[in-house]
Amino acid sequence: MTASSPSPLRRWLPWVLIVAAGLILPIVLPPFRLNLLGRFLSLGIVALGIDLIWGFTGMLSLGQGIFFALGGYAIGMFLSLDNLEPGKLPEFFDLYGVKELPGFWQPFASPLFTFFAIWVIPAVVAGLLGFLVFRNRIKGVYFSILTQAALLVFFNFFNGQQKLINGTNGLKTDTARIFGELVGSDLMQRYLFVITVVLTVGAWLLCRWLTTGRFGDALIAIRDDEPRMRFTGYNPTTYKTLVFAVAGGLAGVSGALYTVQSGIISPQFMAVPFSIEMVIWVAVGGRGTLIGAVLGAVVINYAKSLVSEQLPETWLFIQGGLFLLVVTALPDGLVGWWRLGGPAKLQAMVGWPPRTATYPSLDLDPALRSEQGEGKP
Amino acid sequence: MSSRSAPSADQPLLELRSVSVSFDGFWALNDLNLVLAPGELRAVIGPNGAGKTTFLDVITGKVKPTKGDVMFRGRSLVGTAEHRIARLGIGRKFQTPRVYQNLTPRRNLELAVSGNPSPFHLLFGGLESPARERVQHLLGVVGLEPFSNQPAGGLSHGQKQWLEIAMLVAQDPDLLLVDEPVAGLTDEETGRTADLLKQLSGDHTVLVIEHDMDFIRQLDSQVTVLHEGHVLCEGPMDEVQSDPRVIEVYLGVETDDLDSVENIA
Ligand SMILES: Nc1ncnc2c1ncn2[C@@H]1O[C@H](COP(=O)(O)OP(=O)(O)O)[C@@H](O)[C@H]1O
Ligand SMILES: [Mg+2]
Repeated sequence: MTASSPSPLRRWLPWVLIVAAGLILPIVLPPFRLNLLGRFLSLGIVALGIDLIWGFTGMLSLGQGIFFALGGYAIGMFLSLDNLEPGKLPEFFDLYGVKELPGFWQPFASPLFTFFAIWVIPAVVAGLLGFLVFRNRIKGVYFSILTQAALLVFFNFFNGQQKLINGTNGLKTDTARIFGELVGSDLMQRYLFVITVVLTVGAWLLCRWLTTGRFGDALIAIRDDEPRMRFTGYNPTTYKTLVFAVAGGLAGVSGALYTVQSGIISPQFMAVPFSIEMVIWVAVGGRGTLIGAVLGAVVINYAKSLVSEQLPETWLFIQGGLFLLVVTALPDGLVGWWRLGGPAKLQAMVGWPPRTATYPSLDLDPALRSEQGEGKP
Repeated sequence: MSSRSAPSADQPLLELRSVSVSFDGFWALNDLNLVLAPGELRAVIGPNGAGKTTFLDVITGKVKPTKGDVMFRGRSLVGTAEHRIARLGIGRKFQTPRVYQNLTPRRNLELAVSGNPSPFHLLFGGLESPARERVQHLLGVVGLEPFSNQPAGGLSHGQKQWLEIAMLVAQDPDLLLVDEPVAGLTDEETGRTADLLKQLSGDHTVLVIEHDMDFIRQLDSQVTVLHEGHVLCEGPMDEVQSDPRVIEVYLGVETDDLDSVENIA
């Protein structure tokens, strides 16, 4: 952790790449691909939250879809109301004979309210749910089951509420307008892509800040031995509630970005398999690595869309196989494997000499190599 | 934790009043009475299953007494959450060493040394330099400096024991409860642990549970013998060792062969 500071190039290269990607990809990628990439990148944000609570704090939530969908519905309701002629209601209300806008819809007419609702509402719901669960010391498998049960409750509730929120059909956002521009238009989607890149980087920075200092140490300590923390004077309930709320807020942002780039929010976002997939992205990318969560989300979903274009039926098998492979062969995920010198080991296995840098003798001398190895985090 | 009010001389720091603990009808502690004066060093011995660990569980809030009361500085601890009891100034080392495996020894100690356990303090407040120096000093004392930056999970059993003792010292509680600190340590390390605990007493009140009779003798303190959940006898080591009831408990027969007691223990 106290390794010598990386060279300026290594330090700045990722940032240069991110900025370049944010500026260049929207120009060079065809709109369809750009939109896909933007959607998958926004899924990286909910994955970051899962890494925070699972990878670092040891709480496996199978219910992040709740908070993801709450963020999606917040933006969906705002877009349904935006640019309506005065006195009119969103179309679906007519179908059910609703004449007056339900009270809880009203604040979503305000962009400012919506801006906060996207992340504050999921964070508060997560915080309340988390507090009740953690205070009663529900942990491990029981926690996972409970989050999944909560997910089902939300799923069924939203599905059944035609008159309030259009039930199964959900809310469409593609045909809505914002600042006079169609949300589904290519131009708008390009802006949304850039916003997604910025927010993903922001979410990553937030998680990094939370996990690198002593607060992060406390999270790891809770994962390693929660009772021990209590006997040192720490109250794990506070810490767990806090990170669970942060993960909920991130899920909300993720859901909002995903919604506007997919064109719809529906209770399907709270379906059980989707929330389990989120966990798989993090496991495959690498638990406790942050960047692995984002990579896992993007890579798996991109692979999914490629495979589904060709052979739709095979994707579930590929995804299952990938998960099994990671659990058995790469317990630290792709990023963990990479950081622990995986590529070099693979090269050695295949029989190639390791790639050497400027001073081959330095790199090849076993004594020096072992010394260098120690500095690695 | 650092601001400790000076207890009056005649008030005991810790007092257990007829504490009994029942696990589904099995009485692990049975009408246990014990008084600790401020600054005292006390050893607690007893055969396996005598209830020694349960006795610490009751003080630290892990187990609620079925009957009786635990008083700390004249205040009842019964029903208080573990972390609040810890904040009152009671620290504990566990029988099997429990350190945070994925954190380095330095970071283990930095968590223990923190005066303020709130998340906001950990996020926004840095570690003050006296605390930093304390951590560095303790790493030196327990000989873990060379290992200070690698995960504690890779330490040997003895090193983990010492790390946990160091964590307890870093926490700087008024009352230190130490469960079998020298299990798995070498003779030399055992001697150093005894010295360390003796040094701590005076400023701190220390209660040590141990099986190792040599170690108890090195502590040179009052000894309490636990048996079947209650106090069998109390006194200096020599006196306790020659008590026929203690010999009977340890050997199952009446004898005056003191060496045998040591062998069994
Ligand atoms: N949580 C528990 N549930 C049931 N029995 C327990 C529990 N904890 C301890 N015991 C029993 O209480 C007795 C005392 O245990 P313990 O305090 O660990 O003894 P010691 O530390 O002196 O060896 C033992 O017989 C043990 O089996
Ligand atoms: Mg014990």
